[in-house]
Amino acid sequence: MGKITRRKILQTGLAAGAFLAATRCAAPKGTPNNPAPGPEVNTNQIKDVTLRFIGTGVSQVNEIRDKAEADLGFKLDMRALSTEENNQIAISQPGQYDIFDGEYFSLPLVIPSGNLQPIDITRIKDFDKIVPFFTSGKFNGMPVESSQGTAPYKVMYLTGPDSTEFSATPTDWATLIPFQYNADTLGYRPDLVGRKIETWAELFNPEFKGKTSILDIPQIGIMDAAMVAEAAGLMTFGDKGNMTKAEIDQITDILKDQKKAGQFRAFWKTFDESVNLMASGEVVLQSMWSPAVTAVKSKGIGCVYAPFKEGYRGWGGGVGLSKKLEGIALDAAYDYMNWMLDGWVGAFLGRQGYYSAAPENAKKFMSPEEWDFWYEGKSAAVDMIDPFGATLEKAGSVRDGGSFKERFGNIVVWNSTMNENVYLVQKWQEFIAS
Amino acid sequence: MNWKSLQPYLLVTPQTLIFLVFLVFPILLIGVVSFWGFNGYAMVPGFTWDNYIGVFTSEVALKIYLNTFRYVGLVWVCSLAIAFPVAYFLAFHIDSLRWKVILFLVCTIPFWTSNIIRNIAWVPLLGKEGLVNQILQSLHLTQQPLEFLLYSDFAVVLGLVYLYTFFMIAPIFNSLMRIDRNLITAARDMGASGFQVLKEVILPLAAPGIAIGSIFVTTLVMGEFVTVRLMGGGQSASIGKLISTQIGSLQYPLAAANAVILLAVTLVMVAAILQVVDIRQEL
Amino acid sequence: MRNRPLSFYFLAAFFGLFLLFLYGPLITIFILSLQGPDGALTFPVRSFGFHWLGQVFQEQRVGNFVEPFQRSLLLGLGVMGLAILVSVPAAIAFRNRFRGSRIIFYLTIASLIVPSVLVSLGIGVMFQVLGWETNWFSSGLGAHLTWTVPFAFLIMIGVFNRFNPSYEEAARDLGASDFTTFYEIVLPLIAPSLVGVGILGFTLSYDEFTRTSLISGQDNTLPLEIFGMTTNVTSPALYALGTLTTVFSFAMIGAAFWGYQFFAKRQRE
Repeated sequence: MGKITRRKILQTGLAAGAFLAATRCAAPKGTPNNPAPGPEVNTNQIKDVTLRFIGTGVSQVNEIRDKAEADLGFKLDMRALSTEENNQIAISQPGQYDIFDGEYFSLPLVIPSGNLQPIDITRIKDFDKIVPFFTSGKFNGMPVESSQGTAPYKVMYLTGPDSTEFSATPTDWATLIPFQYNADTLGYRPDLVGRKIETWAELFNPEFKGKTSILDIPQIGIMDAAMVAEAAGLMTFGDKGNMTKAEIDQITDILKDQKKAGQFRAFWKTFDESVNLMASGEVVLQSMWSPAVTAVKSKGIGCVYAPFKEGYRGWGGGVGLSKKLEGIALDAAYDYMNWMLDGWVGAFLGRQGYYSAAPENAKKFMSPEEWDFWYEGKSAAVDMIDPFGATLEKAGSVRDGGSFKERFGNIVVWNSTMNENVYLVQKWQEFIAS
Repeated sequence: MNWKSLQPYLLVTPQTLIFLVFLVFPILLIGVVSFWGFNGYAMVPGFTWDNYIGVFTSEVALKIYLNTFRYVGLVWVCSLAIAFPVAYFLAFHIDSLRWKVILFLVCTIPFWTSNIIRNIAWVPLLGKEGLVNQILQSLHLTQQPLEFLLYSDFAVVLGLVYLYTFFMIAPIFNSLMRIDRNLITAARDMGASGFQVLKEVILPLAAPGIAIGSIFVTTLVMGEFVTVRLMGGGQSASIGKLISTQIGSLQYPLAAANAVILLAVTLVMVAAILQVVDIRQEL
Repeated sequence: MRNRPLSFYFLAAFFGLFLLFLYGPLITIFILSLQGPDGALTFPVRSFGFHWLGQVFQEQRVGNFVEPFQRSLLLGLGVMGLAILVSVPAAIAFRNRFRGSRIIFYLTIASLIVPSVLVSLGIGVMFQVLGWETNWFSSGLGAHLTWTVPFAFLIMIGVFNRFNPSYEEAARDLGASDFTTFYEIVLPLIAPSLVGVGILGFTLSYDEFTRTSLISGQDNTLPLEIFGMTTNVTSPALYALGTLTTVFSFAMIGAAFWGYQFFAKRQRE
């Protein structure tokens, strides 16, 4: 295995180097260009590198690690944490990881800690193939362009190679390279609900008293709550992505009332908890992440990821580099990021319902039927099988919410770290504890 | 100072060092950090009363403390109500020592397995589609699944009693085993009824064991957060869980202030127990 | 067969119910872990098989159990050794009264009654302030010692309370040094208790969660990994792991029992 992969990595490195030298030398801003170290890659050394990842169970999947190790020739060590722990370690334990696989909304907290180093995008081969919303905030003029909250492009760039300041306009220095993302909404059990769920407001419908759940991560849960409260006509917001203290007070009061009335069955913190809650019938309608819905389906239990007229809550995850990475390990980290965008991972994640940062590349690794189902919103020509061998969808079914453009384009809010984040976290804890 | 008088100090030094480094110094640091500030993602050295003011003026913090006391009270009552008859049965109704030991071991065995596993083991029993509800419904005792069985205060208390009753059984059993059987015979001979023997002879002599068990149960429940989270479905609150979520969002100074208060409250409770019962003879 | 009082039957029934309460959940996960590949986390059981027991040793979708198990094993052994190493001398010192002994005694008790989350938070803050990396074998080890050493110490004090000093006096009269007396006389006599203390220390460490939860560093101990799994695993592999760790604990108790009998028997000979 060693020889082939080493040769392959060498080729990839060389190709990347040549490509970069050709295209990025004349980078418009005239930033000092670090040529890719392709020619100097010392294959004997890179073999000894172990990159330590931290991330959530969503992406710290052993199959991805195994494939990356086989393709790249160095070792990966993955740790699956809850979103909360992941951010906590990223900020307070910089010595524990080399690569931070986290969400964009966490960056306003993680970046000021100075634990991440800006990523030189001239070393990212397929950077221009990344969905434009991440890199420029544009997406076919659809509603997502005016979405509220910590949208990825707002925290995508830093002002310089040593900066911890976000840049509103594109630079050569990125915070995270996007990995996977999605348009989130509520999931429900059609067999137990018995009708179509078409608005966020249903989460507070007394009909489902004691059978709903909301996720207990303040920066995400508050956005779901805001969508629900607004849809139910309980309150309005100036900017849901950056609430005032008064708005935070009002929304948490609404949540406390709901909790007091027994609306919620449980709260969940990781996506697998939501799967268990749904699959066991404890909950029939709840905040959910797309792959959680597919995970419930793979157990042979019906679950719908409801498309709502109000639009979706978006989230984006990416990988960032620890400040402490240097030399050969840093080269390995860039190799990994290039590999990550190359398509295999994108296809792997796509089969679970995530979107890849560079869809064109993922397409190369998906069958046309898979591509049509997951990205184009067409009915499945054959049974859809997830990467772990379970059948998710029978032939003829259609993805909830339709095509990539329809779903992503209708994101109206993003998971958010607001200016009043400390206050929000405190009020949120009061709600959970009340 | 000669060797003989120095000897005990040398002998206790390693153990004491462990406690100083991993118990005393960390707790002192918690005290210091509880006065530090917080800037949204990291703690800032300084001096502020804000954290304590925050705790004492927060309605929710008060509610959480009261809720924690409720758990402590309920778990204490339940575990005592279970532990005393069990220990009594083993100590006085089982005659052969061999069987006493075997039955006592049977009670302890589950204690040796992971608390977390023992917690999640309740989920398939108590859930809406769990075994208990299925049985109740198939017997037509209930029409709807009982929802309070899981993800409720009931479930939290059940889980805590399940985990910590052993800490009550062991010291009570130990106390009961030490009671001189002649005392009981003598009391009977003097015409005391079974209930009088229990009240006048056995209970006072078992009190130190009950006290030790109570201290264990109280302190374990006061700082508990895993059971509260797993059995409460994230909905129930305790002071330990509040501290752990504050740590989760990196608010170390606030967590430290709560920890200091928790420690003070716990020590007061332990002192109160010791006021009522002298446990020294038991050690 | 002597006539038993009514209270016997009443209490026996109560005891039976208690055992059901104690073992019911364990039996539940035992049954649920013995399912076929189509098994779920809840009843009904669809088919029987050993699929999930095997899965525990396979690679999981996220995380794995084997390395954390090795870590917990090593840590448990280390904690066990250290607990014995420090508690035996301390207990020997406590055979005589000395100035300050009360404080040290209360310090030990305090270590037991301080809520676990404080120990974890405190050590975590200490390492952070000092700029050290937390690790299961440094901060984790320290946290485990605060929990196991007091138990070991209290048991050893009990052991020495019941210890007949005349053997030692005889040895000293024959001119043996303190060290020789300890090694030749005391150690063999307390050996069975040491096995007990060791096993207790090991199990306390092996199952410890709260005190380690914030400070295990980048590698999880087994209970932490299990906790992670409760939020990351959606298959009966979780129950299978529960079954396996329970069986392992039983094996440890068995080993302890055997070890105790072995030493006790040697002592009698």
